[in-house]
Order: sequence, then C-alpha cells, then structure tokens
Amino acid sequence: MAVTHDVPPQLDELVSTAHRIRTAIESVIEGKSDAVRLTLTVLLSEGHLLIEDVPGVGKTMLAKALARSIDCPVRRVQFTPDLLPSDITGVSAYNQQTREFEFKPGPIFANIVVGDEINRASPKTQSALLECMEEHQVTVDGDTYRLDAPFMVIATQNPIEMEGTYPLPEAQRDRFTARVAMGYPEPTAELEMLDVHGGTSPLDELEPVATTAEVRALIEAVRGVYVSQAVKKYAIDLVVATRHSPDLRLGASPRSTLQLVRAARAHAALAGRDYVIPDDLQDLAIPVLAHRLLPSVEAQGQRRLPEHVVSELVRRVPVPETRAS
Amino acid sequence: MRLTIASGAAAFTAAFLLSPLFGGGNWFWTSLGAVLAVMGAGLLSSRLALPAWAAPLVGLAVTWIYLTFAFTSDKAWALLVPTKESVVELVRLLGVGWADIQRYAAPVPDTEGITLLTASGVALIAIVVDLFAVRLRRAALAGLPLLALAMVPATILPDPISWPAFILAALGFIGLLVADGHERVGRWGRAVLVRRTRVPAGPPAAGSMPANGLRLSGKRIGFAAIAMAVLLPALLPAMEPVSFFTFGVGGTGAGRGNSISIPNPIANLKGQLELPEPQEVLSYTNSDNIPRYLRIYALDTFDGQQFGMTEPKGAPQNRTDNGPLPEPTGLGAGTPKKNVVTDIRISDQIERLAFLPLPYPPRQIQVDGDWRADVDTLMVFSTREEAAGLEYQVQTSEPQPTADLLDSIGDREPNVDPRYLEVPDSLSPEVRQLAADLTAEAGSRYEAAVTLQRFFTTDGGFTYNLRTQGHSASALRDFLLRDRAGYCEQFAASMAVLARLVGIPSRVAIGYTGGVQLAGRWSVGTNDSHSWPELYFEGVGWLPFEPTPAGAAGQGSARVPEYSQPRPEATAVATAAPTSGASSVADDTPQDPQARRNIRELEAEGQAAAGTVDVDESMPLIGMIGIGAAALALVLLIPAAIRLVTRTRRVRSLGRDDAEPSGDRAATASPGRQPSAVVAAWAELDDLLYDYGIARVPSESPRALARRLAEQYELEDDPAAALASIAAAVERVLYARNPGRIGPMRQDLRTVRKALAAWVPRGRRVRAVLLPPSTLRRLRGFGERLLDGFDLLETIRLRWTAAQKGS
Repeated sequence: MAVTHDVPPQLDELVSTAHRIRTAIESVIEGKSDAVRLTLTVLLSEGHLLIEDVPGVGKTMLAKALARSIDCPVRRVQFTPDLLPSDITGVSAYNQQTREFEFKPGPIFANIVVGDEINRASPKTQSALLECMEEHQVTVDGDTYRLDAPFMVIATQNPIEMEGTYPLPEAQRDRFTARVAMGYPEPTAELEMLDVHGGTSPLDELEPVATTAEVRALIEAVRGVYVSQAVKKYAIDLVVATRHSPDLRLGASPRSTLQLVRAARAHAALAGRDYVIPDDLQDLAIPVLAHRLLPSVEAQGQRRLPEHVVSELVRRVPVPETRAS
Repeated sequence: MRLTIASGAAAFTAAFLLSPLFGGGNWFWTSLGAVLAVMGAGLLSSRLALPAWAAPLVGLAVTWIYLTFAFTSDKAWALLVPTKESVVELVRLLGVGWADIQRYAAPVPDTEGITLLTASGVALIAIVVDLFAVRLRRAALAGLPLLALAMVPATILPDPISWPAFILAALGFIGLLVADGHERVGRWGRAVLVRRTRVPAGPPAAGSMPANGLRLSGKRIGFAAIAMAVLLPALLPAMEPVSFFTFGVGGTGAGRGNSISIPNPIANLKGQLELPEPQEVLSYTNSDNIPRYLRIYALDTFDGQQFGMTEPKGAPQNRTDNGPLPEPTGLGAGTPKKNVVTDIRISDQIERLAFLPLPYPPRQIQVDGDWRADVDTLMVFSTREEAAGLEYQVQTSEPQPTADLLDSIGDREPNVDPRYLEVPDSLSPEVRQLAADLTAEAGSRYEAAVTLQRFFTTDGGFTYNLRTQGHSASALRDFLLRDRAGYCEQFAASMAVLARLVGIPSRVAIGYTGGVQLAGRWSVGTNDSHSWPELYFEGVGWLPFEPTPAGAAGQGSARVPEYSQPRPEATAVATAAPTSGASSVADDTPQDPQARRNIRELEAEGQAAAGTVDVDESMPLIGMIGIGAAALALVLLIPAAIRLVTRTRRVRSLGRDDAEPSGDRAATASPGRQPSAVVAAWAELDDLLYDYGIARVPSESPRALARRLAEQYELEDDPAAALASIAAAVERVLYARNPGRIGPMRQDLRTVRKALAAWVPRGRRVRAVLLPPSTLRRLRGFGERLLDGFDLLETIRLRWTAAQKGS
C-alpha cells in the first residue's frame, strides 16, 4: 500500500472500546451487526435511536444489551396508553416534614433511557421527551434540571400500521438521530439463537464492558474527527436534495444536517478514521434522514417509501471533489 | 408592433450591405427614410387591421408619397401630395438613375437618380419583408428578399461582402426571427421552460420569465450561426468567396486543373482609373530604357456585349522556372526581334493579383514561386501566389515589324484559334456596315488595321471620357455610331470587334501603359491602367495597337506603336528596322531554334515520364484532397493530442513525487505539492475510465469506485490493491485534515490501466487513444462554461431591465 497514515492514539482506544461493546451486544443479538454498529454510532454522536420493527425481532433486546454493556445508570420505561408526561420527567411532591415541594426525578434521569413501544403512549406523553432529548434538561414546575452526559434515548416502536399505536409527531421523530429496522434474522442466526439462548436469557450473562467515563471520552474523541468543507457541503447538498425532491412533502430539517454530520463523525471514528469521507454520509443517509421525511401523495400512491427516495438521492448527488472537472 | 419594427430594422440592416457600392452617404439617409416610411405604413395597416393583401399597397402608396417628398417636393402639392408634374419628374429621375447606374462602375457617386433608385429598391424590399413577416407570419421567408438585397453587392463587387456589414444584416434578420418567436409564444401565454443554469437564481423577476429559455437558446443558436458564417470561410482557404462571383472571365474552360479567381478586369480597370489619388502599382527598369506596355490579361472571347477571358491553363511544363516559356504564337523567324530585359517590382499594396504584368511577348521569367504561362496567350499566372511585393526579371523578344513587312504579309490566312475571329450573330448590322465601309479601300489586313486605328484616333472624332456607356448590347453601337466618347475599354473593345469583322484576329489586352520615369525607374500607377487591342498577323504574331487618344485629353501615357502609324506613302520606313535591329537583334535568329529545342526537350522529358504527364493536371486536385484529408485527420486528432499532452503532464507531476526524497516532514510541509500529484492521478484515472466507457458515477466516492471496479472486473489482488491505494490517497487529499505521506502512484496507475485494458474491447481501446471521449467531454465542459457565461450576461441584462422597469 502506498498510503501510510498515523491514527491518533485516542482513536485506537475508541476503536478497541467500541469493539468491546459491539462484541458484547452481538453476543446477545445474533447476525445484526449493521444495527449494532448503527446503535454505537448514535451513542457516540450523542444522539438518540429509534428502533422500529414488527414485534419480536429483538428491538428491546438490542436496547437493553447496549444499556447493559455500559456500566451506567439505565432506566426503562414501558410506554402505555395511560402513561402521563410526569411519569417520565418526574413530579414535585409535597414533603410534609419539610413542608416543601420536593422534586421526585422520573426515569428520564439516567444515562441511557430505554423507551419501549414509545408509540403506544399518547402524543401528549411522547412530547414530554422533546425537551430532554434536544436540550438534555428537564423543566418541571418552572425548575430546570440538567441531565447527565452521556444521555441517550433508545426507543422502540411498532410500525404505525399496527393496532393501538399513535404515530410519533414530526417534531418528535426529528429528535431521533437515526432509525434502525431490525429485520428478521437469517435462518442460521435464528438457529444459533435457539441453540445458545434456548434456556436462559442471554442478557443475564451480559457484563458491562465500558464505564461512563470511557464513553464520555469516546464522545470527546468523536468530536475531534475532521470534516472537510467539501464534505460539509456534500451533507448540505444531500439534505437540500430532500427538500427539493418532488417525491417528498416534507424534507429534512437543518437539525438533521447537524445530526448527519455528527453521526458521520462517529461512523468515521468507528472505522478508525479521523476524517469523514462521503461514504460515511452515504452509509448514514437512509437511517438518519428517512424517518424525518414525509412522502408526497404521488409517492405514497406509488408506494415509494422515503427510504427509496433517499437512496435515489444519494445515487444522484455528486460527491464533492476539489479538482475542477 | 414589435414585428413591424423588427422587419423594418431587418430590411435596413440588410441595406448596409450595399454601402460598398456607393461613394457618398446620401443613399443611406434616404433609404433610412424610405424604411421608416414603410414601417409607418406597416404600423398603420396593423392599427387599421387591414387585410394582408392591402398592406403592401399601403406601403407602396406611402413610399410613393415619401419619394415625392424627398425628391420632387417642389412639384408636389403641399410638398407631399403627388401631382402630375411630380410623377413625371420622378419617372425622369428614375430614368436618369438607371442611366447613371449603367454608366458608372462601383463605387458609384450618389447622384440624385441613383439615390432615388436605391431608396425605392430598399423600400420595395422592406415592403416584401413586411408582407412576409408581419402579414403572412412567415418570418423565415422574409430572409429571401433580404438575401436578394445581399446578392447585389456580392455579384457586382469583386470583394467579398465585408463581415461587419454581414453581421449587422444577420443580426437584423435574427432580430426579426426573435420578434416573430416572441409574438408566437406571447399569443399562447406563458412558455413553461426551465433555464439551464444550475444555480437557483432566486425568485424570478416578475413578468420577465416567460419564453426566456426559448429566447436564450434562440439567441445562442443565432450567435453561433453568425460566428460560424463569419469564421468558417476564413478558415477554409478553398472557399474564397471571390471565385463565386467572377465576371467576364472564364466559363469556357474544361474545368480541369486549379481554378483561379479573377476579379472582373474591366471593373478593376475603371475603378483604378477613377481613383482620386493615383497609387504606384509597380516600377521597372529595362535594358533599353524605353517604356513598354505591361500586359496582365488577354481577353479573347466576345459575347456581343463585352470581352471575356477563357480560363488560362498552366501545365506544369510551362512553369516559369522550367526555362523558356512557350513560343509566342505566330511569331516567325523572319521577323526582326529585339531582346529586352526588364526588371519589375510590384508594389506591396496590390491585392489579389494572380497574374504578372509583363511586356509582350515574354520569353523567359525569373520569379519566385509557382507561376505558369498560358501557352496560347502567354499570360503568366499562379493559382497559389500573389504578385504583391514580387520582384522578377523578364526577357522579351519584341517583334520589330515594319510597315512594309506587315504589308507584305498580304492576305495570308491567319492560322490561329477561330475564337479570335468570333463575333456573335446578334451584332448590330450597323456596326458590320461600319467596319465594311471603313476598310473598303484597304488593300491588306494590315492596312485595314491601320485605318481602323486612325478612325479611332483622328478620323472618327472620338473623345476620351471616363463616363462609361455600360456593357449593354447597344453600348458598342452607341459608342461607334452615336456618342463616340469613352475610355480605353471602349476604344480597345470596339477596335477589336471591328478588326474581327474585317477578318483580323483580335483580342483585348488589359494592363498598364509604360508609366513615367522617376529617378531612373519607370513608375506605373493606377492611373496608367489601360486596355488596348492586340491584332494578329501571320508570321509576326500578336501586335498591340492603340486606338485610345493619348495625351492630356486621353490616356496620358498611351503611345502609338511605330508600325501602326499611317504612312504618308510607301516610304523608306525600313530604316527603322536596321536602327533598332542592328544593335540587339543580331543573335535572335540563332537563339530561336535554341529556345524551341529546349522546349522540345522539355516536352520529351514530360513524355518520358508519361505517368506524371497524365496526372499533371489532376495532381493538384489529388494533392488538395490529400492535404484536405490530412488537415481533417489533424483536426480529428486534436482531442487525441490534447489527451496525450494532459496525460504526459499528469504522469510527470506524479513522477515529481517519485523523485522527491520521501519523508513525512517534507510531505506535510508542502501540502500544495502533494495534492497536485494525487489530483493528477485521480483525474487521470477518471479520464481513463471515461475513455474505457466505465465512467465513474458522479455520486461515487473514490472508495466506492475502487470497490465497484474490483468487484465488477474481478481484479487480481495487485491491481485491486493499486486501485485501493489510489482511492485512499485521493480520499485523504480531498477529505482528511492532513493527507499524510503519499507514496508514488505512477506504478499503481499503470497496473490499474493494464488490468482494466484487459477487460475493455479492442475497439474501445483504440478509440480511447484516437478519439478520447474524456477530451471531448472536457471540450464540451468548456462550451458549457462559455454558455454559462452567456447566461450570466443574460441574467445581468434581465436584472438591468427589471431595475429599469422598477425605477
């Protein structure tokens, strides 16, 4: 090879730590390395993950496995139709001894929050997550409480066609960095699953492989990944393309540009690179952008999903080049 | 409204093409007025919604009123309304104008009559254009009358149409088409068109968007067409426009060999004589310091109106550098001759002179370039060279006949080509009668010739006058029987015709008189342009005669040859022969056979190399085709050459890194240098793939490209690694903060090329070398940028217009 390149030491560390976490998760989830990789990418880019699929393919398992493999406070919220916003953020309760209102933190006060079946709760409750996810803070009765870093919401949801579900509002969807579909496992992976985890729950055996501090350091390292102007411009081109596509009623927001580049940084770092290349953006375009987009009526009529539109846009938008050609 | 104005403008801009025909500027303003009048009539017709057939009538009426106002307002009622007197005056002026046009050669002075004719002509064209474009809505057809207008100067003048005037006229026509398109689109509402500019140009300026794209592309096509029309003929030397419009010359040739373009000699002659400031054309010295006529053309055919020239033929063996020229026709050994050596220098200012001015008869010429002699007339010409600035030496052996000698020829039948005796049957019987009457008493052909010359110079009462009588069929009769005024052309032609009528072969020579002596050299100017008849006498050959009056009242420097002077009686004029003959003619007779033998030898040589003789005439044609094909091939190979140069440059820039002592520090210290090599490698790879037809998709990153190629073409490990290495290097240079050290890529590139070439079909590979698509793409890109530039200009203009409207 003609190219030699020195990888910064913190990246080395990042790669090995990430590898540890990945291995841990994959010991629980068979044959879903793409989803696992994406989960890690979102974690390192300080984002939130939406796992969407039909019941029983391991959505919750993935969320819990990630939570388990990191030694940090993890809370799990089962979203039900009667769940209230205060059940998530916490309430101010009157303390009779001190004769004062005291804040009882809700399950949101953790490093990793697993929101199970998020679309079973009413939009009102879903909206309680808005502030937490974007600003990493909770405001109850006029008091604002900071959330600890890292803070990640991993939500699972059933496809909206399922009964008893409320679709997530656009504003809520826009706050998730990426959406991942689990998909059914390969037959071999399913067989192995039966063999290995037939009797016991694999989660029980999962030991944390990384500390909160380590994860924080990883996030710090990811922030240092270089994004050239050309690549930034490419990200903008991609996002802008969704806004001009005739197949889409709603394009991607500027927030999505930000999250796309952040996720690309993490993606590059996980590959051991300290700079982002267009391939990072291309790989992430569908998970990061597709769930925010609303197809136009025509596209719906033709059963063209936003995923298809995005992948077509990726094929169309030229990659940045510095040479004048 | 718009269309009416555009059609008027088109007619007027086309009228600019006429400007070289005129000496003054009156016609311009009058024609402008006429066009404006027609435009006014057109607007009136549109306003009144007159039927299509009525509009031209209105136009004619308005034009009539305008012309009445402009030319005969004093005879009109209230300056405008035509009366009987004004109509009579107008018709008279038209007649005068017609006569003037017949009389003058271009450029004509703008007399009132000519101005009237021009203005009415332009007005007629404008009316027809208006009819086609506005009434019948066939704007493209309106190009025909405009073309007719453009043909006028093209056919009359030897010069090609001047390109600025052509551009102006073409723009006028395009303006008409644009206006027509605009009306057409406007009638249907807004055109839904997308501008090709990729940059979203913000909110469209209200109201200015419809049909923009259409107009833009139309303009582009128009400009491109004009540019091509102007530039292409300039690039193709063979398409010299002059040769299409030659007059009075050629036509009877078999059409073989190289054609030469000859401007109308007679028109030139007239133009030169009328130049206000005579310019020096050439100067010469000769061995006996006697001025001699220098002949350029010999016109041999007479069509009843004017003399014309059979296309001369220059066989390769008659090249001037092949020794002596062919024998002068009819010059027998018995005639005393005088050898003269003349050194001639042509002025640099002379344009498009492809014939050498020479004293007759030339025997040998020393001149640079490919000049050939026409066997029959001994005109010396070239199809490639021009005479401007040329210096050459010519030896002549001038026949020195005496009157007695010529008389002694008696009635020996002339042995020449019958075309020198041809006179069309349509020639007026009065002229035939005149010839017969004049020569009734002459005892011999020679005597007849002398009588004819005397008729012109003294007996006939002719006067010298530069106002010509034109070339109509009646011009000859008018000159001989009625006006008896003209200049050398009429005199020469008339005498030649009369000579033919009495059985003397004749032709008209055009060239220069001997000029005046200045500081030891004979200087010949444009005012010495001249035309004279040459008459043929068996045994002596062609002899010049001089019917044109000489001196202040005639052609200043014309000289009457001694042998043609009328003799009082048969006296001892023979003394003239010894005086001139003794000094220099002594060695003539022995030289003659010598010269002839030389020519024979040459002929023999020519026949020996039979193959070359056969193809001699067509050689130039084949050569031309060959040269053309070679030029075409060269043009076609330009992309290949560009590709080669680009590749070499890129490979060299790769090599530079090769030679550079590697080291991280050095690499990072000069970031500008590293990328250039990588960028070169990447560009080269990109072009290579494009040439091989497996081009990179624009959305394909270097890494993805390498992966795809490796999979698609099942590359071996080596090439795959080389490809990956190039891709990685490119990726780093393009996207990484610090590209790090990058090793040489020349070898990698070669490996990849080889591996890919194995997959690409041979035809594709050959094409990649000979006609590389990547270069064509680059050229196209260049064109795109050019068009983008036009777009930018257009946008600026639109903004400006919008701003104007807004303020």
